[in-house]
Amino acid sequence: MKPSTVQIKKMPSRFKHQVPKYKVTRSAACINCGTCAKSCPYGVHERQEGHNKMSAPIDYKCIGFECQNNDFYCVKKCPRGALSISLNPMYETLGDYRWTADMITGTWIMAETGYPPQRKDLEYNTGNSGGGFDKLRFKFPKGHPKIDKFEISTEIPLNKRNDGRANIIISTPVYGGGMSFGSVSLSTMVSKAHNAAIWNTFTCTGEGGYPELLQPYNDHVITQVATGLFGVREETIQRVKIVEFKYAQGAKPGLGGHLLGEKNTESVARMREAVKGTSLFSPFPFHSVYSIEDHKKHIDWIKQMNPDALVSVKVSTPNDVDMVAVGSYYAGAHIIHIDGGYGGTGAAPDIAKKNIAMPIEYAITKVHNFLKDEGARDAMTLIASGGIRTAHDLAKAICLGADGAVIGTAEMVSLECVRCGNCESGRGCARGIASTDSELADLFNEEWATQRLTNMYHAWNVQLVEILQKFGMRSVRELVGRTDLLEHIDYSK
Amino acid sequence: MPKKYHIHSKVMPLNLDYVYKFRIERGENCINCGRCTKVCIYEAHKRGKGDPRKMADPNTVVCRNCFRCIQECPRGALEKSLDKDFLNIGGSYWKSDMFITLWKQAEDGKVPVTGAGYRGPFTGPGFDSMWTDMSEIVRPTRDGIHGREYISTSVELGRKLNHLTFDECGKLLSKIHDTVDIQIPIIFDLPADNLSPNVKTGLIRAAAELNTFIVLSIEDITADIKKYIKNIIPLISPEEIDKHEGLIKSARIVAFEYKEEMSNAFPALKDKIKKISNALTIIRIPAKKSVEAIVSRLAHNGAEIIHVVADYRGMEINGSANENSRLGKDIIRAIHLKLVEEKIRDEVTIIFSGGIAMAEHVPKAMICGADLTAIDLPLLIALGVRLYEEPEKIIVFPDGLEKVTVRTIMQRMVNLMGAWHSQLLEVMGAMGIREARRLRGETGRAIFFEEIDNETFGKIFKKRETTNI
Repeated sequence: MKPSTVQIKKMPSRFKHQVPKYKVTRSAACINCGTCAKSCPYGVHERQEGHNKMSAPIDYKCIGFECQNNDFYCVKKCPRGALSISLNPMYETLGDYRWTADMITGTWIMAETGYPPQRKDLEYNTGNSGGGFDKLRFKFPKGHPKIDKFEISTEIPLNKRNDGRANIIISTPVYGGGMSFGSVSLSTMVSKAHNAAIWNTFTCTGEGGYPELLQPYNDHVITQVATGLFGVREETIQRVKIVEFKYAQGAKPGLGGHLLGEKNTESVARMREAVKGTSLFSPFPFHSVYSIEDHKKHIDWIKQMNPDALVSVKVSTPNDVDMVAVGSYYAGAHIIHIDGGYGGTGAAPDIAKKNIAMPIEYAITKVHNFLKDEGARDAMTLIASGGIRTAHDLAKAICLGADGAVIGTAEMVSLECVRCGNCESGRGCARGIASTDSELADLFNEEWATQRLTNMYHAWNVQLVEILQKFGMRSVRELVGRTDLLEHIDYSK
Repeated sequence: MPKKYHIHSKVMPLNLDYVYKFRIERGENCINCGRCTKVCIYEAHKRGKGDPRKMADPNTVVCRNCFRCIQECPRGALEKSLDKDFLNIGGSYWKSDMFITLWKQAEDGKVPVTGAGYRGPFTGPGFDSMWTDMSEIVRPTRDGIHGREYISTSVELGRKLNHLTFDECGKLLSKIHDTVDIQIPIIFDLPADNLSPNVKTGLIRAAAELNTFIVLSIEDITADIKKYIKNIIPLISPEEIDKHEGLIKSARIVAFEYKEEMSNAFPALKDKIKKISNALTIIRIPAKKSVEAIVSRLAHNGAEIIHVVADYRGMEINGSANENSRLGKDIIRAIHLKLVEEKIRDEVTIIFSGGIAMAEHVPKAMICGADLTAIDLPLLIALGVRLYEEPEKIIVFPDGLEKVTVRTIMQRMVNLMGAWHSQLLEVMGAMGIREARRLRGETGRAIFFEEIDNETFGKIFKKRETTNI
């Protein structure tokens, strides 16, 4: 599948207004002459039919200070000097150190248009966390790129063991993270799967069963076997191409999963074969795995049940993550999926998110090098997740040693998540993304969501191809482990 | 299995104004259509009580920042910003968000849980430059969150023997010292001196309810609170021992402020106490530049418990704020390592206080080498106290606090400690550590920023140029 064949379609926000970066103020000096409404091509100013007075400026449409070089700049055009532009205090309430307001806005634009933002006033590639990816920069060579964009491949193989099992190739080195039915709404889940099919990549069921509506996308679904074994059945294992063991998740390493009773609605309970309204724990760890040998037993069990499937092992990032990765190689896994401490979508204790296990940037480096030293790197696919927010993070993760990445939050943000963090409370997500509440889950339809995800994946692919082109590479596979193409702003070369 | 230690949390709202993060304002172009009341699932928007044709002012205290009212108002008439009070409170160490989360934990006693991953800086100074480790496949407690009943958070205070000695017949010659056990590695430190009586009583009763200790100046131990003496550590001056003999007799632990002559005179001081009762002694020592040398001298001279007190931001006390001041993490590590090198670490108990602001600071201080911690400000923040760091430390008590019942005050502190205790269990569970006392000095089960960064990025990107983190 060629990324250039993916259908991009403009898919605007489902809300009337977006979150404004700027504030346009009209003072009392305004004489309602309408000059601004005539000149602004973005529609910030308008006078409704039959009204004498100008309407209040529509802040979010304003492109900000960079407009001052334009002939139509309203502040200059106004004959009475009644207009001014400033940063909107509202913008400060959006985002955080890791996902800045600019990054969220940038992702929204990608999901709407399918391309990276054209605006120059948004720093959407890096966050403000002051470490990790946010301190790494690409060292692009000077001169004009010589390779045509259409010659550049973003495909990666997921089975590198040469063991006779399916040779699965995904068209873009990203797939969707596990979010269970129960933690997200059905339309979120189905649109993630639909998008995975469009992009010839994967999405993951998470631990919470395999809703029937996902069946049309079986070839693009990874089903998860986690410690609670919720919704794991022989036929779900047999219908997929990849089965994932979830040992731990980066946001709450060592703590297991926990679906609060309020989210365990009737349909969720049926899927999980549990009692409605009870809190469902997926305990840490697997009580049947005490060693790599036990781990191998599990993998053999899956391989026996589905002779063609690949096995992925998802672990978090403790100090010995490198050893666990090598252990997984010896146990027969195809994919080692490491989930860093700073990511995650679902509810987790704040103390765990911040403090337990290491950020993904370090873990990728450690695992890649250790697998290489053990001579196992070429037989394993290394997938990173937990803090991959942008296409630049993705490319940096690959430079550090990953083959590809899994994303979760970026998908949620494409569906207009504002990262308010209240996924767990009461009726759940106020924006209907991570909610099974009958009213809230109806806030958007599958078609809208699928196109938003497809657009965002497209924008990332465009950016990734640009990066590869600048480096003069024909395939994303050439980028793996190329730390020499990165610099860290705290270290000298 | 012994009876499980349990902290009885109970929802306990406090009807005083406190800090909130978001302010929503309704502009004049609002047409009172009521769309906002329909979209807000937190009920921030309601129609006016007096005149239902008009919208009431938004109740922004309940706002959870979902942006729905902002985005769906047909006129774009709603504006949101970070509340000014929120921005001003605290400072570089006591972050605005901490006040809200401490307040909330005091209200419900629950572990703070949110979705959508971590939001803060990659790393930071002091305790923010370390992560606790966990183990994926091989670890001592294999029970995850269902194994909590097997995790003990109790710690022992007092002097311990390095080894036992026996005579030829195998009879034990060593005299085992007395120790005191508490069930959480947290005691309450000397409270601020301008507390209203209900707050003071609430603090003492909370310490008693949790079966831990509160350090109180001897003058504050009035007749009506003497019944809580088993949970009070009187702070006395050595000259006044005789005067307070009665009190010392019933106390389990007493504390002294460190004075220079104490290093040598300590054994005599301890003996004097032991003649009166079995009470253990704490020496309270400010965390100055050479604190580890003094701690070591005291330990060699028989000190039982040493309480190292950093400033309210967990920094070394130097008289002047200069950049070389060490932070809690480094002060504790220096003390711990010095005592380990001198092979005396196990004999003495180290308490650390100053800048213990969040639950995570307790296990982190212990991993760095403290046996337990002491706290003060979080207990007051639980009651709505505001702290400002700039231009100088100011503590502001909320109006009406003096009228709040002792029961409410006590329960809120118990709730806060309940939430911290549960968070300690989360961290210990993930680390696979069953005994809080085994956390002490377990730096092998932690990941330090400097080390991991050098080990990975240092190797790739060579020499580090700045330490700007």
